[in-house]
Amino acid sequence: MSVARRNRRLRRAAVWLGLCLCALLFLAPFAWMVSTSLKPLDETMLLPMKWFPGKIQWHNYTEAIEAMGDFWLYAWNTFYLCVITVAGTLLSSALAAYGFSRIEWRGRDKVFLLALATMMIPFPVIMVPHYSLFKALGWIGTFKPLWVPAFFAGAFNVFLLRQFFMTIPKDLSEAARIDGCSEIRIFWQIILPLAKPALLVVGLFQFMYTWNDFLGPLIYLTDNKDFTLALGLQEYQSQGGGTEWHYLMAASTLVILPVLALFFATQRYFIEGVATTGAKN
Amino acid sequence: MMVEEVIRYQYSNRRVPGRIHVSGFASVSVLAMIVRMATLSKVMRSAQRKLGMFCAKVFAGLFVFLVLLTGCVGCFSSQKEDSDKVVINYWEKWSGFEGRAMREVVDDFNDSQDRIFVNFLKVSKIDRKLMLATAGGNPPDVAGLFSWILPVYVENGALLPLDKYAREAGIRSDDYIDIFWQMCRHRGHLWALPTTPASNALHWNKKLFREAGLDPERPPRTIAELERFNEQLLRRSPVGKIEIMGHLPQEPGWWVHQWGRWFGGSLWDGEETVTAYSPENLAAFQWIASYPRRFGVEDLLAFRDGFGNFASPQNAFFQGRVAMVLQGPWMYNFIQNYAPEDFEWGVAPFPGSGMESGASVTIAESDVLVIPKGAAHPREAFEFIRYVNRREVMEKLCLAHRKFSPFKEVTPGFVKKHPNPYIEVFIELAKSPGAKSPPNMATWAEYRDDLIAAANRVSLLEGTAEEVLREVQERQQKALDRKSKRWKRVEKQRMKEWDEL
Amino acid sequence: MTAMEGKRLRIGLLFIGPWIFGFLLLSVYPVVASLYFSLCDYSVLSRPVFIGWQNYGDLVFDELFWKSLYNTIVYASLLIPLGFLVSFALALMLNFDLRGKGVFRAVIFLPSLVPMVCLAVIWRWMLNGEFGLVNTLISPLATFLNAWIGTDFQPPSWLQEAVYAKLGLVLASLWCVGNAVVIYLAGLQDVPRHLYEAAEIDGANFWHKTRHITIPVVSPVIYFNSIMALIGAFQVFAVPYVMMRGGNGPDGIGGPDRSLLFISTYIYQNAFDYWNMGYACAIGLILFLVILGLTLLATKISANRVYYAGS
Repeated sequence: MSVARRNRRLRRAAVWLGLCLCALLFLAPFAWMVSTSLKPLDETMLLPMKWFPGKIQWHNYTEAIEAMGDFWLYAWNTFYLCVITVAGTLLSSALAAYGFSRIEWRGRDKVFLLALATMMIPFPVIMVPHYSLFKALGWIGTFKPLWVPAFFAGAFNVFLLRQFFMTIPKDLSEAARIDGCSEIRIFWQIILPLAKPALLVVGLFQFMYTWNDFLGPLIYLTDNKDFTLALGLQEYQSQGGGTEWHYLMAASTLVILPVLALFFATQRYFIEGVATTGAKN
Repeated sequence: MMVEEVIRYQYSNRRVPGRIHVSGFASVSVLAMIVRMATLSKVMRSAQRKLGMFCAKVFAGLFVFLVLLTGCVGCFSSQKEDSDKVVINYWEKWSGFEGRAMREVVDDFNDSQDRIFVNFLKVSKIDRKLMLATAGGNPPDVAGLFSWILPVYVENGALLPLDKYAREAGIRSDDYIDIFWQMCRHRGHLWALPTTPASNALHWNKKLFREAGLDPERPPRTIAELERFNEQLLRRSPVGKIEIMGHLPQEPGWWVHQWGRWFGGSLWDGEETVTAYSPENLAAFQWIASYPRRFGVEDLLAFRDGFGNFASPQNAFFQGRVAMVLQGPWMYNFIQNYAPEDFEWGVAPFPGSGMESGASVTIAESDVLVIPKGAAHPREAFEFIRYVNRREVMEKLCLAHRKFSPFKEVTPGFVKKHPNPYIEVFIELAKSPGAKSPPNMATWAEYRDDLIAAANRVSLLEGTAEEVLREVQERQQKALDRKSKRWKRVEKQRMKEWDEL
Repeated sequence: MTAMEGKRLRIGLLFIGPWIFGFLLLSVYPVVASLYFSLCDYSVLSRPVFIGWQNYGDLVFDELFWKSLYNTIVYASLLIPLGFLVSFALALMLNFDLRGKGVFRAVIFLPSLVPMVCLAVIWRWMLNGEFGLVNTLISPLATFLNAWIGTDFQPPSWLQEAVYAKLGLVLASLWCVGNAVVIYLAGLQDVPRHLYEAAEIDGANFWHKTRHITIPVVSPVIYFNSIMALIGAFQVFAVPYVMMRGGNGPDGIGGPDRSLLFISTYIYQNAFDYWNMGYACAIGLILFLVILGLTLLATKISANRVYYAGS
């Protein structure tokens, strides 16, 4: 028995060490990025490499911001898009998820399967028709192609919210219906307040998605004034030789930072949210 | 957009941040996030949940604020424009000192009259963006493109023919250096006027020549000689790492797809046949392939991985790592800015097959101004183009661009005033019969990408010159056939439209 | 249908109205339009002109299309199994409930939040042949191995060599397995305790338990994650595109020997660089069919092997 216990303890220690090593490996690129972002350029090209810059160059950050062009404008555009798309997604997905979970109507589950099937369509496949559709609407070179679709409920978000809505007891709505509540009031006053954590998760996902989106802005935006951070960063690194590593890393750090901040602020919801995406259906 | 002179056009994009109130707001919100992150790691779980809700409320609040703010910004910006002037939107690809030079010309134009206001906008990846904007029905009035992109725009009906405007304004083809005028024509019409042209030539590092025991004043005159110099200039470290090379076809590699020109080749017959698989182009590609064979694939890759940005002191040429490069008239300016104090250099035609017979090869390219189809104010737009094509304006612009003028005649003193001590070499090259422009075919973008990939393949020894060029030949012939078919379908209608305009 | 049912149907449809609108306009129409465009010669600026099956005919003989398909398949078949191994192993380790589990989980999850563009920029630097961190880390290892076994392995110039470029991209993608890890972890925590306890009485060790209990029980999650990984891998665009600097690098848009030319990249190039939108649509539909086919295949294969609680 004591041998078994010792073995178990040893194994746990080994796993712990393994995890430590993995954690270090996963953190290394971040550390490398920050370290590079604080070095002068010639120190980035030094062999053997050093983890700690000889002299910390905070001004790399201000210079990177300048080199990227209108960094603050890009940040503003990105943020603006994020907020609108989050609002649109929350509203439309919650409505659709409600229709797919809290109201019994004929053919509902079949239609829902259809919704899930749309998740299978890869974006590159419908890229050209989307483009020609927005072209016909005269929206090329505006933000509209990037935020209007958010108001039409993406299948993934509907799925997540529906999973959550299903867990709310049916009696709740039944009681309200008997009291003569309209569906929209049940939705707004009973279900939505209960679904706050799920809404938060969907909002977070959408925020991340918009913040990270690259192909959309690449196709639809024509004016440099309208660039998002992702597009601005790619533009910057495709100019010249793309080897101003200290600036590139500083700029990357700045683009990543808000996302990480948001993650740390809402970590629990976030991880739970990701975990539910894999829930069996 | 590909490796080419293009790369350089945005080498430094330093602009003052616009809209101060916006940036201030954004920075505050980012700051708030950082502070939140810092405090949060210690906050307990229950508090975190509340905070999550708080975030949601903050978002809702921000949204309302945002909508209001955008409304305000919209009001301000629409008030800004002068109502009694015709406003012309002008998209330009250049930033940096080239962009500033053009902006100055725009300012001069705006001051010179009170009818038209040119709104100068910097647009990156312009060849793609202009197409998207024109297709979207919302193009600018004037755009600054590269000459080699014109054919595909023309054949897709994206531009306005300028023949009539040019005739009315008294613009004569005889005034321009022939090759630059021809660049602006396609399918029998005039589509653009040149602004800042360029040709390219060999730049060599005299100090390295001296150190290697070569005559620093005598550049190579044939490819064979170039290679002999190359061997002599090569220096490896004790462990065998390459430290200095004489020449490398891929540094800077902006014209890597057109090396065949210096071997007497061409890329198409000007009509309907691609000639990638020709003895001359084969010779060029075999030449590229000889480098990894002689110097080692891995060694060359490691050598190239150590190069820095073009516009930086880490540029391989300025650092003295590569002694000879093919470059344009702007190079002088970068040498002045980034090369060490004691940098000695010279310029001469790049050695090639025709050199002995006096026909030195150069690739001539130009920035051009066009009017997209669907532009709101074509007449006013042309007035601006006309203004840029005044001799004195053009010379001022080209001087600031570190290039030469596209006109045959220049004002006396232009060459003397030009800060590039070797500018005459470039002018002579552009005027010589050996000057070639990139093929004016509608498939050039594809063709170029394909040639770059092919050059890349032979330089990795992943394929022989014969293999890669045969593939390029087949594929590009097919691509050209496809575009020719498309053109034939619309030819009559387009020609009619253009003749009417 | 009773009046009640009719009313419910109306209200239900009202609620999913926005979705229906989006579904028709942003999913159904594009797929149908894509079908039509793929039979046309179509550039952004001209109207689509019907040309029959010519685009598909050209596809068959287009080496670049086959190359991009091949690259995509190689990338996917490297990434999906490796991604599974790495993420499942990490999830198993995290499932030990050790001290600092939350921190480990957060650290492993962090990289999957990094925007694609940043990811590409960071890894372009990580994979630099001369000064990159990856080579700095593996070069002592290489020296050691070379001295020991007598091989002659040199740290490669990752993004400049055909084979290594793809491996580099896989490496960068593996950094972002955090999402899958979290999903697996949730699955692992749902495995009923009593199954393990019963096995332990029978003297099963850790590997037996993993092989015979854990994997069968979480097989639906594995299936789900694999499908997601499949769809993701077949659409890969942003990271290779940015890594090759949008074609501004010396290797052009496809990287060394075009080993980073993926189907999405090729679609994008044809649609927006080469003015061949019809052709792009044809390639897109093939991509769609490939993904659909592979998903069906995966479903069929897993049909007997995926264990659903209650069945």
